[in-house]
Amino acid sequence: MKFISIAKKDFKELIRDRRGLVMILLFPMFFMLVFGFAFGGMGQTNQPHMISVVNYDTGATIPGTGEQVNFGNNLTKILEESTYPDSDVHLFNITQTTESDALQKLKTRDADAELIIPPNFSQSVVALITSTLNQQTTTTPSANITSTIIIRGDTGYTGFGVSQGILTGVLEQYQDKLLNEIQKALTGTPGVETDSYLQTKVESIPGTGSFTTFDFMAPGMIVFAILLLTTTVAAGLTREVEKGTLARLKLSKMTSFDLLFGGLIPWSLIAAAQVIILLTVAVLIGFHWQGGFYTLFLAILVGIIGGVASISLGMIIAAFARNDRQAANLGTLISVPTSFLVGAFFPLPQVVIANFWGQPFQVYDLLPWTHILNALRSTLTFGGGWDTIAYQVGWALLLTIVLFIIGVLLFSKNRLKAEN
Amino acid sequence: MTDDIIMEARDVTRDFGDFRAVENLNLKIKKGEVFGFLGPNGAGKTTTINMMVGLLRPTSGQIFIGGESVEKVEKGTIGICPQELVLWDFLTCKESLMLMGDMYQVPKEELKFRVQKLLDDLFLQDKANTVVTQLSGGMKRRLNLAMAVVHQPDIVVLDEPSEGLDPQSRRVLWNYIRSLRDDEGKTVILTTHLMDEADRLSDRIAIIDHGKLLRLDTPTNLKKEIGEGDVVEMKLSNPDKKQEVISILEDMPDVHSVVEIEDALNVRALDAVSKLPQIIDRVETTGVHVLDLSIRQNTLEDVFIDLTGTGLRE
Repeated sequence: MKFISIAKKDFKELIRDRRGLVMILLFPMFFMLVFGFAFGGMGQTNQPHMISVVNYDTGATIPGTGEQVNFGNNLTKILEESTYPDSDVHLFNITQTTESDALQKLKTRDADAELIIPPNFSQSVVALITSTLNQQTTTTPSANITSTIIIRGDTGYTGFGVSQGILTGVLEQYQDKLLNEIQKALTGTPGVETDSYLQTKVESIPGTGSFTTFDFMAPGMIVFAILLLTTTVAAGLTREVEKGTLARLKLSKMTSFDLLFGGLIPWSLIAAAQVIILLTVAVLIGFHWQGGFYTLFLAILVGIIGGVASISLGMIIAAFARNDRQAANLGTLISVPTSFLVGAFFPLPQVVIANFWGQPFQVYDLLPWTHILNALRSTLTFGGGWDTIAYQVGWALLLTIVLFIIGVLLFSKNRLKAEN
Repeated sequence: MTDDIIMEARDVTRDFGDFRAVENLNLKIKKGEVFGFLGPNGAGKTTTINMMVGLLRPTSGQIFIGGESVEKVEKGTIGICPQELVLWDFLTCKESLMLMGDMYQVPKEELKFRVQKLLDDLFLQDKANTVVTQLSGGMKRRLNLAMAVVHQPDIVVLDEPSEGLDPQSRRVLWNYIRSLRDDEGKTVILTTHLMDEADRLSDRIAIIDHGKLLRLDTPTNLKKEIGEGDVVEMKLSNPDKKQEVISILEDMPDVHSVVEIEDALNVRALDAVSKLPQIIDRVETTGVHVLDLSIRQNTLEDVFIDLTGTGLRE
């Protein structure tokens, strides 16, 4: 059982190289902390959007009563007071400022969006009121005054995308409510709400109502972190070539399987440690998941299979790289695009190439990490049990074994034969 | 092939791109001898032994071990101690040796015994449980050697084994190499650029330079081949007149050769001490004075100089 001796040797080397070990184990911790901070608001579900308001509204006089009004100020106050549904958290953090200051804030991302209220905003609202009144009392149409509220921001910035969506919704509601109030005032009765005939309601998937972006992205991040193990393994194995220790082993009775399977055992323990650290840190910074400890346990199991797949990929890379620097570069070159290909960050277009047991098989499904990601999402995000993920885990295992066999064959051919 | 030939190279050539590292090498190594490859750095010694142990494929030609092609020979027949320190930094001496023994499938009890003996023989017993990073350079060299022989191969290949060793460690190593041949009947192939090492250890020496085999014989025969006698090394007051001095001295009876070595001349002659006054007189007839002078006996280096017309490159 030569692979056991190799496993012991690799394990001792990993454990005794304290600095290297600390770096390997600290990596998932920092990785998850950074992503959690970026996408999760460190556990907070809702946060106010930073809006700069530039109010040029000069106000208007309501015909008949002679009352001076400024609907720009009114809109600003409403924006300031709006809160998330069933929450005390404000929708917006409003700063009233000048246009140049607002632009600067957009550039530095101190503001998610800028709202410019035009000088004739109140006049157009008054025109709207007058027009509604005239429609009710006379047939003479009144002058139509149009004003345009500008929502300005960096269209490539997610913060702006979200803020402008919410702002547009709030502005539409403002206009609707305004009309409704005028009609109610005219008829003298509460009347029928304009939106009572057709209502919309946004619902989340059961159990995910309080989930943040981070909670949805965490499985993808775990897969990305696991994939980066490829680089570490490839560099470690190539170091054996570079130092000449592989030449020693090459002359012995050791086979490629002994070396790689022996190496797989301690590296799988490292993968397990990394997955546990990733999940622990995620939970500590406010990661929401469904299914309790059972699904966490399943996620660890699935993560380890993903780790073994990454180790196998690292072994394939080590069969080609000439030195550890080359192995690290090649590892990054392969593992980073792979993480995108398996959909760790963005959904990918459907490319179905076959059907197995009534399930579509996409081109990305040739990669074990796609199934790892699907299984992690099924269990952590949607609380699925073993029966839900068994199909994905089965594919992931099968493809991992295929990757390992390819690694053994390539390593044997390229590394354990006499050099040409 | 006769029974006492354990390794044979037939018309072996190795190219690296346009560079020919070894050219048409033919040699036979006898069972139970210490065979030395002598040559300067870059002569092709390491390339030759890498082909001999099966780590490198020849561009053309064949290597045979015990009559069989090196590619088909049973694993474990050869043990190689590379020129560089090839060790696992975070394993102890004992763990390193046990690992190599396991890789050659040495039975557990037998392996424990061999490891103990190797640690004793190479004075590493005190450091048995010390990790490699904490060993001295000499200790690492000895462990490097021990790892090559833990499976008791028939052929032990040592690539520049004394490189970087202190005199004490070198003595331990030389004694061990002799014991491999004398007590265990192993065939030892060593490469070196140290004349002294090749002379003291080798039963036969192959002098190699620019990838070509220049001579193959016993150290004694090699020294005899260029004539018995002494070597006079002299430095001249006017180096520009070296060629004139060389032609005058070459005409003297009993002077075998005169060779220019860097800023000095090597004059090889029988009974050089008695001829010294005549040699100096001849030199001074050219108007040149002898600034520095020394006399010593023929060495392998003189053989090499005679063969290549130059000193050993570093």
